[in-house]
Amino acid sequence: MPLTRNRFNLFVALACLAGYGWLVLIGSLKPEEVGSRYDFCLVRHFAHIPCPSCGSTRSVLSLLHGDLAGGLYWNPLGLLILIVLLVAPFWLGYDLLFKKGTFIQSFHLFENTLRRKWVAIPSIALVLLNWVWNIWKGV
Amino acid sequence: MDAQNVDYFLMSNAKFLEDHQIYHIRERLLAMDESQWRMLQFMQFTDPVIVLIVSILTGPLAIDRFLIGDVGLGVIKLLTCGGLGIWVIVDWILIMGITRRKNTEKLMMAIY
Repeated sequence: MPLTRNRFNLFVALACLAGYGWLVLIGSLKPEEVGSRYDFCLVRHFAHIPCPSCGSTRSVLSLLHGDLAGGLYWNPLGLLILIVLLVAPFWLGYDLLFKKGTFIQSFHLFENTLRRKWVAIPSIALVLLNWVWNIWKGV
Repeated sequence: MDAQNVDYFLMSNAKFLEDHQIYHIRERLLAMDESQWRMLQFMQFTDPVIVLIVSILTGPLAIDRFLIGDVGLGVIKLLTCGGLGIWVIVDWILIMGITRRKNTEKLMMAIY
């Protein structure tokens, strides 16, 4: 199915809802307890090494508790996820209210920017560095 | 375009394209100018089987999505550990169809 505006907005809204549901479910836990209780990562499950985004939940939880250093330590990508979780619902609400497509337009702009070599190569390098750091930390 | 060339092209590339579009593609190719045959011959499609293998082996890293050009969704899949593993499994089922759709869209863009 092609990615239409409504379908994409619904997908992002459901993803945000799942994200908030997940945070409510584990909200009472300390960040360091999450990793030992829940393990959804297939890479860690089968290869016994963390994936580049392992530790994101702990990072988001730390950031929500006001611990910026802890959040960045668990996984810097958590900061990005938290920003998306905070901004996306309002942006989608604005689009829905005023019948606009600014969210998907920005998403396509982001995609096209990321396809450029001078953006793609540093981004891939950063993700790989983060992955190496994740393996080194053993999150 | 020559019917023999069109059928040769479709025989070689049908596995990369959506089944239900083959008839429309054939009709369109037949109506096209002979000079565009060379352009068609050099078109590269992504193999759905290769993408499926990549998806099975590296699903949580979203390399399958990057491979078919879904950069944005790839980033979302990567950031969410493959949608907590659920998206990875869903993609094992859907990725071949998505790849064929992307290939068909690429061909349609070239011939329309």
